[in-house]
Amino acid sequence: MEPKDEEIMKQQREIEKEVCDSTPLVSEKISLSCLRTEYMGDDVFSAKIQDLLKKYKFIRRTRPDGNCFFRAFAYSYLEYLITNYTAYQEFRKLAESSKDKLVELGFPRFTLEDFHETFMEVIKRVDPDCTGAEGSEKLQNELHQIFNEQGYSDYVVVYLRLITSGKLQEEAEFYQNFIEGSFTIEEFRHQEVEPMYKESDHIHIIALCTAIGAGVRVEYLDRGEGSTVKAHDFPEGSEPKVYLIYRPGHYDILYPN
Amino acid sequence: MLKLFKKTKDKIPKSEIIIEPKELKTPPLSKCGKPLLLDNTRWERRLHKELMSLIKEPPPGVTVDTESVQQNLSEWKINIKGFEGTLYEGEDFQLLFKFNNKYPFDSPEVTFIGNNIPVHPHVYSNGHICLSILTEDWSPALSVQSVCLSIASMLSSCREKKRPPDNTLYVKTCNKNPKKTKWWYHDDSV
Repeated sequence: MEPKDEEIMKQQREIEKEVCDSTPLVSEKISLSCLRTEYMGDDVFSAKIQDLLKKYKFIRRTRPDGNCFFRAFAYSYLEYLITNYTAYQEFRKLAESSKDKLVELGFPRFTLEDFHETFMEVIKRVDPDCTGAEGSEKLQNELHQIFNEQGYSDYVVVYLRLITSGKLQEEAEFYQNFIEGSFTIEEFRHQEVEPMYKESDHIHIIALCTAIGAGVRVEYLDRGEGSTVKAHDFPEGSEPKVYLIYRPGHYDILYPN
Repeated sequence: MLKLFKKTKDKIPKSEIIIEPKELKTPPLSKCGKPLLLDNTRWERRLHKELMSLIKEPPPGVTVDTESVQQNLSEWKINIKGFEGTLYEGEDFQLLFKFNNKYPFDSPEVTFIGNNIPVHPHVYSNGHICLSILTEDWSPALSVQSVCLSIASMLSSCREKKRPPDNTLYVKTCNKNPKKTKWWYHDDSV
């Protein structure tokens, strides 16, 4: 007998709860070879993982809650910024001014403010200039703690979703090309970008990277042809600062050799 | 390499009742094993801010029943007028907003209450509203004000006063909380 819809939904919620209890929002760095055990006996994936291991050493897992791209991106980019003061300062300036830009684009100021405030607080808490001799290790711990506190972590995700949505609106004519059918950019932003837990696709990635000016390389571990993993840089031709691995439906952070 | 998005949304008017799994008694744990502290002040702060803005600059035809809010910040009654030149001209309606401490990450529960429930293809006679921003398209950047505006615009664009086709069955069998219904969103063009 076919299961009823309500049973499927109940089961889905149980699975979501289990995922939530068992996976931290962002994990510790784990040796990338852990993927080998995960896909043991799977020839296609095993060959590709072997290829990936030539280029990357570690992986940091994110909770698969539909927000993984935004969370992974924010974590990894800030991790880069705490080791590069000039880039950090530039980003901080951009983040500071992003609120007015979004208000100009028509986002409601009073809901935006809360998210912007928390976003700025997170950026300030990992200011590379404010640490003493312990330096980057201390910042690294701070960053890790912040991103595992739902109160902060989710606020960062919301704000990045809004920046992404703002970019789509700003260049609506260009981004409309990525959307098929009768979906307008407006509908797409409200239904697929701004709500939490909605998964990200290329269009989200391109819009966010362009808005922030950060290069991202995504390695695709999928059932595509060949025994090598295909990489794609966003925006095309940029120098990547953030490395992510994509497995159908999910993004994690990668660390190159 | 660039993928296209397809519009896959189901447009069949239909609602389903969901059976809620039992609530857990133990508080959720954060990843470090510490109980997750829900930031009470944060959601209250946000609601206060929204309330002030709604009192100071209410959208046309919308008024907050401040007395109800004073008694309980997590339940607001909001009056909304049918606009001139629409099928609801001259009618007054009342909405009940309920918030929990995960607001604005959780959407508010919004229903029509009182004697006059608008007769509309997306409004059930028990006050439940079929509107996607109240469930799956909710975003923390939305607000009480934007929900009121959406509902006002939903009413204004109506061309024929009638109940949803599955009204009788739904009202008989649904949960009290409309968020426990899996909605199949009706066509927006009604």
